[in-house]
Amino acid sequence: MSIQDQLKGFGITFRTMLSKPLTLGYPERKTPVFPRFRGRHRLWTYDNGLEKCVGCSLCVAACPADCIRVVAEENTPQLRVSAGERFARIYEINMARCIFCGYCEVACPFDAITLEHSYELSERDRRELVYTKDMLLAPAPKQAPLRAEGQRV
Amino acid sequence: MAEYAPVDLTVENQVEFELDGRRVAAPAGTMLADACYAHGVEIPIFCYEPRIGPPIGACRMCLVEVEGMRGLQTACSTPVAPDMVVRTTTDAVKEAQDGVLEVLLANHPLDCPVCDKGGECPLQDRTFKFGPGTSRYVEPKRHQPKPLNLSHRIALDRERCISCFRCVRFSQEVAQDGELTMQERGARSEITTFSGDPYRGRFSGNIIDVCPVGALTSIPYRFVSRPWDVQNTPSVCGLCPVGCNTELTVREGRTKRVTGRPEPNPAVEEGWLCDTGRWAYDASWSQARITAAVVREATGDRTATLEDAVDGAAALLRGRTAGILVGTAATVEEAGIAADLAGGALPGAVVARMGIPGGALAPLRALPGAQLGDVDDADLVVVAGGDPSAQQPVAELRLRKARRFGATVTGCGPRPHALEALGTFIRTAPGDLAAGVASLAEAIAAATRPVVMWDEADLAGEPAAAEALAAAIAANPAARQLELGAEVNGSGLRALGLPDAGAVLDAVRAGTVDALLLVHADPLDAPGRAAWDAALEGFAGPVIAIASHADATTERADLVLPALTMWEQEGTLVSMNGRVQRLRPGARGPEGAAAGWELLVALAHRLGVVPGYRTAAAAFRAVTAGRPAFAGITPEAAGVLGVPLAAPAQVAGASAPPPASGEGVPLVATRTVYGGAAARRSAALADTAAPAELRMAPDTAAAHWVNDGDRVVLRSSSGESGRLTVRVGDGLPEGVVFAPLGAPGSPTEGVLPADMAPVLVRVARVEAG
Repeated sequence: MSIQDQLKGFGITFRTMLSKPLTLGYPERKTPVFPRFRGRHRLWTYDNGLEKCVGCSLCVAACPADCIRVVAEENTPQLRVSAGERFARIYEINMARCIFCGYCEVACPFDAITLEHSYELSERDRRELVYTKDMLLAPAPKQAPLRAEGQRV
Repeated sequence: MAEYAPVDLTVENQVEFELDGRRVAAPAGTMLADACYAHGVEIPIFCYEPRIGPPIGACRMCLVEVEGMRGLQTACSTPVAPDMVVRTTTDAVKEAQDGVLEVLLANHPLDCPVCDKGGECPLQDRTFKFGPGTSRYVEPKRHQPKPLNLSHRIALDRERCISCFRCVRFSQEVAQDGELTMQERGARSEITTFSGDPYRGRFSGNIIDVCPVGALTSIPYRFVSRPWDVQNTPSVCGLCPVGCNTELTVREGRTKRVTGRPEPNPAVEEGWLCDTGRWAYDASWSQARITAAVVREATGDRTATLEDAVDGAAALLRGRTAGILVGTAATVEEAGIAADLAGGALPGAVVARMGIPGGALAPLRALPGAQLGDVDDADLVVVAGGDPSAQQPVAELRLRKARRFGATVTGCGPRPHALEALGTFIRTAPGDLAAGVASLAEAIAAATRPVVMWDEADLAGEPAAAEALAAAIAANPAARQLELGAEVNGSGLRALGLPDAGAVLDAVRAGTVDALLLVHADPLDAPGRAAWDAALEGFAGPVIAIASHADATTERADLVLPALTMWEQEGTLVSMNGRVQRLRPGARGPEGAAAGWELLVALAHRLGVVPGYRTAAAAFRAVTAGRPAFAGITPEAAGVLGVPLAAPAQVAGASAPPPASGEGVPLVATRTVYGGAAARRSAALADTAAPAELRMAPDTAAAHWVNDGDRVVLRSSSGESGRLTVRVGDGLPEGVVFAPLGAPGSPTEGVLPADMAPVLVRVARVEAG
């Protein structure tokens, strides 16, 4: 090892000592995500309040991690939940198993499910990682900031 | 797939033809679609269904090019011919397939995500495989209100129908109920019943299986699951002795659907199921289901854990001489282990089977037997006694098919039934079946391949008729007998060598047994119940019942161990034609229940004798070892389609019943599979439940001073019935009354003896109608 190599190495050290650090003060500051970031799922409703999901289970068929469970039921005049003939009585995603591949979003014929930007999904009990339909219909409680055009962290 | 007819490529003198440049051969008369499939070329079809009958070429999907024939030909209705040159992949064929699918889909709603057929839909699969991928249609599709209820159990979605006529042809040609038809023309065509009323039929559910699109779907299964959410298990129906092969669709531990197998069993049901077998599965979680062990104490009933209950049962049985009664629906394993207890854990126990003793039937059972599938080749089918349409439902379809294939159908019996229209039937006086049999002997002798179906219950009660029928069959070496059994696993229990229930009844009366273990046995709801009522009245010992559903006997038992049903447990059933078939567990049972055979093994452990088997298959091997009827039969040999018993399942030492005694009017009792106990427990079949009715001709009613709607009780030398409602009907024979077995509360069973001997009853009105 020559003296030149040592100087080169210390050069990097001194240079970075003077630049701004890359680490963030999480959780006070959050990393902004790209627009196509795949995070927590969201189920959508139409403007009239009816759910877009008809409980067709195509997301279940597409899911490579087998983390979705759908139990469908028929809409009745007394209980109309979705716009189609059927609706999902149970819609559960096991976030502990989900690999956030987004195939469910691709498979959905009604654009009822999308993967949103929220990535803060830790719980103290793994049973709480099974997200129910009500949880998925509501906006994510912890929103993640979106990265602006050309923004660098 | 079962949609193509099986082709036997091993027969001699086949027709050679060219298929896509290959030289192939198929038996003469084979339709091109089937021959191509046998040679590995799939020709798309929708309307063709060889089980339904001759092809009609309605859907035009199977067009192929045949050299020398103008235009394209429908492969489903063109038989192979020598040196025919067939091309299935040319541009003209592809264009035709694209065109047909484009037009079929012109009005098809493509609501596959909400359609129950989605994922297992021939239209979906074949559009994907053969279709154009795009459509030039931009016009709005035909829209109709949906769904319509074709019956209480079948939903009709007219938008999805592609007018293939499969359901109509099933109704017209297979079930021959004449209910369904196609109404209107063109885009307005729709499937409906002639009258517009709900589809009434004993086999209506099969149209769901044959529908190649989602136009006909099952209402109990509506939106319950998708094909990728379920496991399908091939199993056997245990509701009647026919032993139809079924497929259980299981989701999340529950049986959600029962269908005919995609690969049907040609020897038994050919893929058709009766409505009871198809929809009774929800009985497994009905109100009557026993989900936890019940211990009956002086202070009242309490539930117990399974562990405690088995301990309790062992404590009750320890040191006692037990009578063990095995019910007719118990599996071979359960019955065999119960019989084994007598030699080990419960020394000196008397083990017997429920059901008809049938000592008089030995000569008939010894004759060469036929399977239901053999009826197709018969030139004469004789039905001696019984009512297959009510008691062995799918046998009715085989009989109708034989008739369609040109067989002569004839028969005799004391009761009017739906199949009498198929041929000449002789109405015999009750107790005089021998007269009818005598008049059939000539026809049996003259036929070249006769099959004689005989009713177990009717002939067991009339030894003279059974003997005469056996002689008539034996006189023609080509003739074969086919038992129309009365009990689900009667053949299996007989093959194990169990004596009839009289052995236990006598022991209970004589006091030689001081405990009773009932394995799926319900003597208080079966013929002969009056004798059991009296015997149990004075019985001081403990009564332990292993049962899946509450019945009159579990009400009386001191300890009830909850067992699994046929949809949940492993086991072996032997059909009425001696076919050994395996039940495969589909669903999980309730938490507190266990399979009957496991409960018996646990009981043996507690009693200090460890049996040498731990699985159902090992138990089957152990209990059938040394029984000649089961020689060579293993669970592996039974496979998916089952094998016939090596030797007929005979009974030893049973005596023939005496002729009817006492006075009154003869009673003809009919077991009903439709509307029996399974139907009553099932919400889907609630409307089919058989009412407790006593039917008779107007003159007979007048002679007994009763009117339509009166409530009556019957009394015979065997006992008294529960209340029945009088129904006066024209067209019934005079001087005889008819009542169903298996009605709620089992009223009729009270007047019948266990050996099904003919009875005379006195009709007493208890309440005016």
